[in-house]
Amino acid sequence: MSTTDYAQHEHHEFLAAADAALADASLQSALANLGGTLGQRNRDAFDALPESDLLRQQARAIKDATLAELDRHLETLETNLRARGGEVHFADDGAAACQIILDIIRQHGARRVVKSKSMTSEEIHLNKALERSDIEVVETDFGEFIIQVAGHRPSHLVAPAMHLRVGQVATILSGDAGEELPVDAVELAAYARRRLRVNFAAAEVGITGANFAVAETGTIVIVENEGNARLTTSLPKIHIAVMGIEKVIPRLADLPVFLKILARAATGQKMSIYTSLITGPRQQGELDGPEEVHLVLLDNGRSRILGGPLRESLFCIRCGACLNACPIYRNIGGHAYGGVYSGPIGAVLTPLYDGLAANHHLPHASSLCGACQAACPVNIAIPEMLVQLREQLHHEPGELGRMEGLAYRLWARAMRSPRLYRASTWLATRTVGRLRRKSGWLAKLPFGLHGWTASRDFPAPAAERFRDWWQSEGRE
Amino acid sequence: MSRAEFMQRVRAAAAAGRAYRVHSPGELPPRVGYQGAGNDPVARLAAEITAVGGQAHLVENLDAARAKLTDLLAALAPQSALCWHHPLLDRLDLRGALKSSGTKLLDYDALAPLPWEEARVAMIAADVGITSATYAVAETGTLAVAAAAGRERLASLLPPVHIAVIEREQIVPDLFDLFDRLAADATGPTPRGLPSNLVMITGPSKTGDIELTLTTGVHGPGVWHVIVIR
Repeated sequence: MSTTDYAQHEHHEFLAAADAALADASLQSALANLGGTLGQRNRDAFDALPESDLLRQQARAIKDATLAELDRHLETLETNLRARGGEVHFADDGAAACQIILDIIRQHGARRVVKSKSMTSEEIHLNKALERSDIEVVETDFGEFIIQVAGHRPSHLVAPAMHLRVGQVATILSGDAGEELPVDAVELAAYARRRLRVNFAAAEVGITGANFAVAETGTIVIVENEGNARLTTSLPKIHIAVMGIEKVIPRLADLPVFLKILARAATGQKMSIYTSLITGPRQQGELDGPEEVHLVLLDNGRSRILGGPLRESLFCIRCGACLNACPIYRNIGGHAYGGVYSGPIGAVLTPLYDGLAANHHLPHASSLCGACQAACPVNIAIPEMLVQLREQLHHEPGELGRMEGLAYRLWARAMRSPRLYRASTWLATRTVGRLRRKSGWLAKLPFGLHGWTASRDFPAPAAERFRDWWQSEGRE
Repeated sequence: MSRAEFMQRVRAAAAAGRAYRVHSPGELPPRVGYQGAGNDPVARLAAEITAVGGQAHLVENLDAARAKLTDLLAALAPQSALCWHHPLLDRLDLRGALKSSGTKLLDYDALAPLPWEEARVAMIAADVGITSATYAVAETGTLAVAAAAGRERLASLLPPVHIAVIEREQIVPDLFDLFDRLAADATGPTPRGLPSNLVMITGPSKTGDIELTLTTGVHGPGVWHVIVIR
């Protein structure tokens, strides 16, 4: 297995990356159908679901109540999973989680790991940590396998290789196969099945994420379509699941509420093909399944967010619906966001987890149109959170240019004084307003404000003030 | 960093976060989102299995189920079959059906004495997996398949074809009903919790990872037969 190129995980200049994405014809064609496929399937699935709004409220209420007593639910989960022979570990951050996982692997003298898709493992850069210690780690989700071979990052929460066309996938996998594979999705999937069976047969350890964990039963829940997560948790002797602490739900009865919305939001299915409920290692007499089950509970900044105003971001169930709905994501794809999580929710999560200053463009990578919240199965107020992050940015030194700051101050001054306001609108309509009466747009702002119009036009003032129009005609 | 400090931090954060709880719309009615399966759950189950890409075979009785299973085995002509121990499969005389199609039976009795490596190789080579299920959900076309000794999780996973046989008594209308049953089973008179592995199967294995186009059979079975006995 080639060593993955993780240099691309580094944060980068958002505007340059977005420009590059817009100019990438192949990426643009891959993105072209996203709204019509995944986005449309999501809307259709919710339209066909009676009481879907109430169900979303219910899911939201469960998340809200669970987070209010998160410590207690985590302790219940720990007690019940231990009672079933599982082990529970606590990781403050990504490095600690990687170390815990590495220690478990080393204790068993294991060298070969198969993984199923997990954004949390991406978040902690687990593959890089394992490869540094000479552990072979193979991604087995088809999309993740493709991008691992290619050395790419995932570009979508649920469809990690969605930035690639079938021809590119054929080229990438032909390199892995050492022979030319046909440009055909079915054939390429068949190749991955054959190729990865070898890894499944040999691996000593299987690593997964978790979509949920049920506290009262000590159960890890994994939702997937391919069956690779089932293989990962059935064949190797050791199963390690890594999960953010916000994923716990208190009761078994809470699970159907989330299962009814998760697959609909992610792919428009009623249910994903396989939903595995794993409650500890194999029991007496069972021939398959892991002999050890480890759950690594990851904080990595979550407790900091839990105690603050953006707590609601912890409601996210990682379905990807906001990405498919977002006009920005649909134009630039996932990589331009720079972080592990992309799209509208990534524009909230990446600044929260990795720092606002380093990701200052992300809260602005949104038109605040609200499509993300409308698509979100737990109705997370993403636009409001983006505005809050913008507000926080405003207080960071060096964020506003001198001219922009001056413009805001002048604007504020004019808005506070009726006389100044009247005079300034009179001036604006008589000059620029009349000059631009036809087009209604300014292609270029003067002085230090030109940055605003570098990639878009600015609406010109009207040629006539409302107050003038009202006095001459409006009253009649 | 100790567990105690970790928990202490989460406890403090959860408490501080209560200031930011989202507005709750008040008490929601119980079982919001319950859909049910109409007045013929058996037919509904078959229709939903077909809708998700499976092949449902609705039969009237045990004899018809045995005939259907024999037909399927004759068409598939498998060399070996990875099979569960299950009362329903015994009543169907699965052994007899396999014998008449000349298929080698791989079950708990055949596999348990083998070293794990050998058993694993044998299971990976199986051409078909034959199981029952614990429950089926009519509204979604889902089988709930619990692992146990003699009910291997790999039987519904490794072979390219999975055949499941279920009967009316196992069918519940809605996902909510399934979880009621599971909770009751887990906490019944002798508390024993959930099975070590319970998988809800809703269709043949699929991937949409290339250009969002659905392709079947990437890791799990690409062909999924469900014989439903009225």
